[in-house]
Amino acid sequence: MAWISLILAGLFEMFGVAMINKLHNERNWQSLVLLLFGFGASFLFLSIAMETLPMGTTYAIWTGIGASGGAILGMVLYGESKDWKRLIFIAMVLGAAIGLKLVS
Amino acid sequence: MNKNWINVFIAALFEIFWVIGLKHADTLWTWAGTVISIIISFYIMIMAGRKLPVGTVYAVFVGLGTAGTVISEIIFFGEPIKISKILLIIVLLIGVIGLKLVTTDVRKGVDS
Repeated sequence: MAWISLILAGLFEMFGVAMINKLHNERNWQSLVLLLFGFGASFLFLSIAMETLPMGTTYAIWTGIGASGGAILGMVLYGESKDWKRLIFIAMVLGAAIGLKLVS
Repeated sequence: MNKNWINVFIAALFEIFWVIGLKHADTLWTWAGTVISIIISFYIMIMAGRKLPVGTVYAVFVGLGTAGTVISEIIFFGEPIKISKILLIIVLLIGVIGLKLVTTDVRKGVDS
């Protein structure tokens, strides 16, 4: 159950990041409500996962799914740059962030 | 340096406050500060995504927040310094600088 909560937390974070794009493109209340719902649900499932799983691992997986998934959705749905240099630098930032959460 | 990037860095700074707050807050005032930091950091980060690519903004926000939290834990809460932490922070910072260099503003038509 904790692992399912953790994956759901990551997916909702991904959804929340995509809603930031939607909010700026459409500038309406529906997008803002969906954004708040996405991040709210993400934190809720994250806290459920943290009751049983170790904190470093939990944070690392949550970040991994949410931030990299959010970047992928930005490219697929919202036309963000697919330039290989950008992808490498995003991978460096997120890979290092995941590593830091695992070693801390 | 462009205003949107400075906002991403300020958002990451507030993220450090609330991550530490979630772990260490134990009074009404520290919890209030934590909640206010969450609101400020997300608001500034979301607004930075108005001009910059959201995937880039969110990665830098999460990355700098994590690096800042690790450094703060070492300085203020006596966590051990490890060579692996220093190396990962260097990789992370190179990635952030690289992203800053390759990123051009999106949604140019939008007034800032």
